[in-house]
Amino acid sequence: MLFSSITFIYYFLPILLLMYFLVPKKYKNLVLLIFSLIFYFLGEQKYIIILILSCILNYFFGNRIYASKNKKIWLIIAIIYNVGQLLIFKYTDFFIENINKIFNSSINYLYLVMPIGISFFTFQALGYIIDIYNGKHKPASKLLDFMTYISLFPQLIAGPIVRYSDIEKELVERVHSVDKFSEGISRFVIGLAKKVLIANVLGDLASNLIEVDLLSSWLKPIVFTIQIYFDFSGYSDMAIGLGLMFGFRFLENFNYPLIASSITDFWRRWHMSLSSWFRDYVYIPLGGNRVSFIKHIRNIFIVWFLTGFWHGASWNFIIWGLYFAVILVIEKLFLKKYIDKTKIFKYFYTSFIVVISFLIFNSNSISEIFNSLGNMFMLNNIPISSKSTIYYLKNNFVLLIISIIGATPIMKNIISKFKNTKYKGIIDFFEVVGCITLLILATAFLIDESFNPFLYFRF
Amino acid sequence: MKNKILVTIFIIYICFFSILGILVPDKEFSSGERRKLSEFPKFKFEENWINKVDKYFLDHFVLRDKFRSLKAVYNYNVLNCLDNNGIYLKDGYIFKSNYPTNKSSINNFIEKISKLNSLLNKDNKVYMMIIPDKNYYLESDDFLQIDYNYIYNEVNKLNFNFIEIRDVLKLEDYYETDTHWRQEKLDKVIKQMSKVMNFNYNNISYEKNFFNSFYGVYYGESALNRKPETLVYLTGNIFKGTYVKYLENSNLNTIYNESKLTGMDAYDVFLDGASSFIEITNNQAITNKELVIFRDSFGSSLSPLLVNYYSKITLIDNRYITSDIFKQLITFTNQDVLFMYSTLLINESGSLKG
Repeated sequence: MLFSSITFIYYFLPILLLMYFLVPKKYKNLVLLIFSLIFYFLGEQKYIIILILSCILNYFFGNRIYASKNKKIWLIIAIIYNVGQLLIFKYTDFFIENINKIFNSSINYLYLVMPIGISFFTFQALGYIIDIYNGKHKPASKLLDFMTYISLFPQLIAGPIVRYSDIEKELVERVHSVDKFSEGISRFVIGLAKKVLIANVLGDLASNLIEVDLLSSWLKPIVFTIQIYFDFSGYSDMAIGLGLMFGFRFLENFNYPLIASSITDFWRRWHMSLSSWFRDYVYIPLGGNRVSFIKHIRNIFIVWFLTGFWHGASWNFIIWGLYFAVILVIEKLFLKKYIDKTKIFKYFYTSFIVVISFLIFNSNSISEIFNSLGNMFMLNNIPISSKSTIYYLKNNFVLLIISIIGATPIMKNIISKFKNTKYKGIIDFFEVVGCITLLILATAFLIDESFNPFLYFRF
Repeated sequence: MKNKILVTIFIIYICFFSILGILVPDKEFSSGERRKLSEFPKFKFEENWINKVDKYFLDHFVLRDKFRSLKAVYNYNVLNCLDNNGIYLKDGYIFKSNYPTNKSSINNFIEKISKLNSLLNKDNKVYMMIIPDKNYYLESDDFLQIDYNYIYNEVNKLNFNFIEIRDVLKLEDYYETDTHWRQEKLDKVIKQMSKVMNFNYNNISYEKNFFNSFYGVYYGESALNRKPETLVYLTGNIFKGTYVKYLENSNLNTIYNESKLTGMDAYDVFLDGASSFIEITNNQAITNKELVIFRDSFGSSLSPLLVNYYSKITLIDNRYITSDIFKQLITFTNQDVLFMYSTLLINESGSLKG
């Protein structure tokens, strides 16, 4: 089930809210768990067993790691289980395909369907057991609390990757208030609007740019970059908003990444829960930057290879990750200190690198990547523009302007500036009206448009 | 205070629509969209069950049409979009984009017509008339059009006697809210056909019949409120000697089915709408010639105006009937054969049967 669906907003959510706030405190986690499992079951009936098994086994592993003398052995077993589960469901056919190509063999594909959200809940479970091993927190005292943590529906299928330590206390004792609930509504509706009113429409624009010309070859990756930002950050906003409604405060996952001043800065702002996961559970254990220069470079390449590969079992994602590794190494070596001195250029530089990265990300093959780059840099014989491209640009021009402004903190800063002045009442009024208006508009768009799944469900 | 107000409005708003959604009885059809609305799906262990549930809730959402209108108004007036779901508005007309030119569809069309042509007798005189959809007359550089010249050139390679009507028609000859042309404006098309098909054109006087509540197919798609149009259908003495035989509707034997005026699509008044095989005989025709028309829906309003010139007109809509079946219903001898299709169909010819 999608958050941006009528079924979720108008039926699943109100029934859950009613049940959740009606039951006594001690049953709230149970209600959340049952509804989270229903939520998952409605989208992934067969594989719910994978999720439940993952919860039970990781709870067991956590306890064994904490209590056993052979902590390391239990840690290794837990890692093998979790990584193995991910490798089997997500990467088996990719490995078979490449083995067949290299060795000219004909191993049959398994055609396994990847359980929704497996990349996210597996990483949460891995973080949980590694943190117990490192003594950062104790295992969950109750299986119910742990299952609620792993399967908590707001972040279950597309993140953010929530650390157990961040919501450990809230799982046991959390505060519900009108203020928190209201903040949750605002975040949820903003996320919904980002997804439905911007990302989906930009997705249509990108798919309509079918003419091959210079303008469309630039416009397409730019539009896709903005689309994926609004799509994914919109989902994170909805997840954070829903968390707030039920008393949880998840950490932010995006911090206006499209205004980053370098690629180093970009990755501090984009999908923060994933980049910090790789930093804490891969990069630092490998020695981070406190090793020899060669090992430091190796660590960067390992982390970015894995980051790319995490996004999907395809070579373009691996190239995408390694592309960032190369850029980050160059920035660390010398580039960053030069571009930091510039005022405007650094933003153009970062935007350019990011747009090219999403061109790689969104391509279906390596030849498509080179063909698209050839078109962008006039290496292929293509016209400057076409009537069709200009039409679609004009048709979506206002939306593009709105989305570019929306990708910056301009509105947030304006609201913050006036919040503590005599205009607070007016700002509050517009916040309420704006929130309900966006909800109504998003509903109108949902009704008018067909089913449109989130991009990040693939990963 | 703000937070209390927001929470209260949010809860009331969500509950209002969810409770009404359950209480309000389901509609079977959406007249605006001319389609059957979905039913609540029985639970099955399948991944897309929830998608069917979502489709059901989307179809039956309270004030659904108002929400669709809101989206259209927002797109046109706030986002300044040139189209909403491919619907353009200009000079009171509603257009629907059929861009881009679908070359594989055009090839498919040519292939299907070639196959039909191979069924004909060598004594049949074969004609081709392509009806431009009304986007052809959309005089604006802002909107995207298919490559009409490409379509005409490709279809012309069939080497049939070609009846060119692009310069004969104007935008005013089409309904504002519908895809179709107006029957009362087609006399000039008949005149043009007579030049190529060698029949003696007569200036026939018709009696105009009006239906003032016509909402065309684009009305529902546009999701905007506007006044209905007047649909005109022509009657007169010319039809006195006609007898119409419908393959699917044996109860009807007239050119017009007026009961359709108040149905889903008032344009179905012409020859009962979607009909696969129709024979119109006229014992008062000025010749004994026979005509076979392979056609789409545009043929329904035009064909009655040809009864004066042919004693028998057979209409075959090969979207609904295969050649295996109609071959049993007709023998090709020395009839005139007219292939008459709109550019809308040629550019989206997947529905044509072999």
